[in-house]
Parts: sequence; structure tokens; C-alpha cells
Amino acid sequence: MVHDIYRNLKKDLQVEFRNRSSFNVAFAFAGITTLAVSLVAGGSPLSPLVHALMLWIILFFSAMNGLLHIFTREEEEGTALFLMLNTGAEAVFASKLIFNVVLFLLLEALVTPLYLFFLQVPVASILLLVLTIAAGGMAIACSVTLLAAMVAKAGGKGSLFTVISFPIILPILLVNITTTLAALEKPWPGPVSNVLFLLAFSTGVTVLSFLLFHFIWQDT
Amino acid sequence: MKQYRIETRELSKKFRRISLFRDISLELEGGSSLAITGPNGSGKSTLLQILAGIQAPTRGAVDRLENEESLEITAFHRLLGFASPLIHLYGECTGIENIEFALGSSDSRERADELLQYFGLIGHEKKALKTWSSGMQQRLKLICALAKSPPFLFLDEPGTNLDRSGKKLLYNRIDVMKKEALVIIATNEPEEVELCAEVLNLGT
Repeated sequence: MVHDIYRNLKKDLQVEFRNRSSFNVAFAFAGITTLAVSLVAGGSPLSPLVHALMLWIILFFSAMNGLLHIFTREEEEGTALFLMLNTGAEAVFASKLIFNVVLFLLLEALVTPLYLFFLQVPVASILLLVLTIAAGGMAIACSVTLLAAMVAKAGGKGSLFTVISFPIILPILLVNITTTLAALEKPWPGPVSNVLFLLAFSTGVTVLSFLLFHFIWQDT
Repeated sequence: MKQYRIETRELSKKFRRISLFRDISLELEGGSSLAITGPNGSGKSTLLQILAGIQAPTRGAVDRLENEESLEITAFHRLLGFASPLIHLYGECTGIENIEFALGSSDSRERADELLQYFGLIGHEKKALKTWSSGMQQRLKLICALAKSPPFLFLDEPGTNLDRSGKKLLYNRIDVMKKEALVIIATNEPEEVELCAEVLNLGT
């Protein structure tokens, strides 16, 4: 299975880097939104709560298209059957999950420093902020990967994805925002248990997704 | 040597109220071949997909066996070579990358080269598939189906888009493979039907 995961991940990276659509759209959206927010704010001081909200809204909407694309591309280009016949369902899910987690982490690694720099955001606990961004991003990526497969199989588009993912993402976003707010305002350790919650949530949702994915991926 | 077999019991398929076929019971083993024929819309491709475990039947069951032991669907797919107009390879990847993906490793380069040579695609294997003609893409699709020398070989309209020489190469290869593999072809081409020992006509 490890070999299958590696093989599929390699193929996805080849396709995505040559096609560049999901990376380009996600990174362009993230960069432009961050710049637009900083220009509109015009140097006026915003409260830490507004910063925490803005940061996660930018991250969430930048990533949505890319996270969905990894499955919809297979359906739209008709390659899903070729993939299904040559790779087991578990390996397909694991490779797509790894791809989505890496995509979200890369996006966060670009957007967060840009946002903090352009809006001159003071951070009280860098370590808590980094942990929250990493664990929060992972929780979102893990939660939406299975939903992306469901939307792709249903022939749906981005709007459907955003709508059905919202109820699942909402509690994660709330935890992400409150923990990010704490990282901006309070010194370490702050609510570090929230980070553990996000990691536990990622683990739980990944296990559940592994169990359910087979039924979504294979019609028989 | 492993024995492979496929058995169906009273397979039926309906799309809403329209019945495609009813009560099809088959028993085929390695070394046998079957052509599924019938007019357009009779369910040839659907039946092939049901046998391949890609679609579920409305009623009935399919058993895929290795040494009389039932195969899980993922294990069966590893033993299946399947080519169909429904399958699309990765257009952004090169020919060789697609074959390596189907083979499951890059260690089998010799096998890939042998098939590329056989189907006259040597020299094109490092070009992105999206730049290939439809006939060349069909040849590559067949290479991907044949690459693992599968004990189950299911082909849906395999001669589609192939020129005369491509068809000849394909038929020669099927002739060799059907001695050991279980070959099923969904087609209306008389030459492809003649390749098979048994014929199932869904139009009757």
C-alpha cells in the first residue's frame, strides 16, 4: 500500500505541476486577498479578533478550490476509472489526503507571514500561532478530503463543496480563530489544549474517512 | 499454476424502468474467451463493466475466483486488464509514465518497452499524452491493459480508432493471450467476435 500511495502521489504531483491550475489559483487567491486586505486596512490598527478572523477566512477560501480539485480533476478528465482499476481505494484516499495536507500547509506557510508582515500584526506567542496554523490547517484538509470525493462522485462543483463542507468546517474554524486570537494576545502556553483537540479531530476524521471512502469510491 | 474463473448468477440490469438484460448466468475460466455482441444500447458495455466490478448489477451476483477462492474487488482489479472508451489516461503525463502507473512500478521498463515497440509507439513515449492522436492513445490504452499480462482481460470495443495495422497487432496479441487468460470482448466487429470461442448475443 505504501508503494501505491507513493506512486499515486508522484502522479498527482506530475499532473498538478504540469497543469498548475490548483496551485496557481490557490496561491494567486491567497496573495491577492492578503494584499487587498492590507491595502484596504491602510495601516489603521485592527483588533486581534479581526486579524484572527481575516487570516482564517483568507486561508479557508484560498484552499477550497485546490482541496476540491484533487478529486474533481479525476472525474472531469475521466481518469477516475483508470485510477480505480490500478490503485486500491485506501491508497487513493491516503495519497489525496497527503496531497491536500501538504497543499494547505504550503498555502499557510505563504499566507501567514505575508499577512503578519503587511498588516503589522503583533504576535504574543509565535509557537502557539505556528502550532495552531499547522494543526488547524491539517484539521481542515483532513475533513474536506472525503467531502471532495463525495462532491466529485456526485458531479458537483465548487459551490456545492463549500456549502456541504461548511457545517463540518465551522467548529474547526471557531477553534482555529479562538486559538489564533489567544496566540496574538497571550504569552505561551495559552489554550494549547485546543491544538491537541485539532490534532485529535484530524485523527478521528481521517480514521472515519478511511472506513467510508471505499463506499464512495467504488460503486459496486 | 493458478486457476482463474468468473461465475455469474442470474445477472440483470435495469436503468429505471428500462431492462437492459435479464438472468445472465455465465461460467468462464482461464483459457476461455467470450464475445459479447448485440445492437447499440443492448448493454454490452454495461455487462462488461459489471463483470469487471465497475458497476453493480440490479439483480444477481458475480464471483471472481482464484484457485476457487473468491477475490476481493481490489485484488481482482490487480489481476484485470481493462480497456474501454470509458477509460481516459493522464493527458498531462507521458506515455511511459502512464504505462508505469498501470504496471505499478518503473522496474518493469523492459516490459513497457517491449509493448511500446510491438504497438509501434517507440519514440513517442516521452511526449505528453495530450499531444497524441486518438489512434495512438487507443494503442497506449491497450498497452496499459496488457502490461501486467493479466489473467483476466476485458476489452470494450478494442479496435476503436485503430488503423488496419493497429487492429492486426491487437488481434495477434489477443490470440496469444487467450490461450491462458480469460478474455471477454464487448464488440460488434466480426473479426473481434471471431477471436473468441464463445459468443453471447444480447440482442436475442
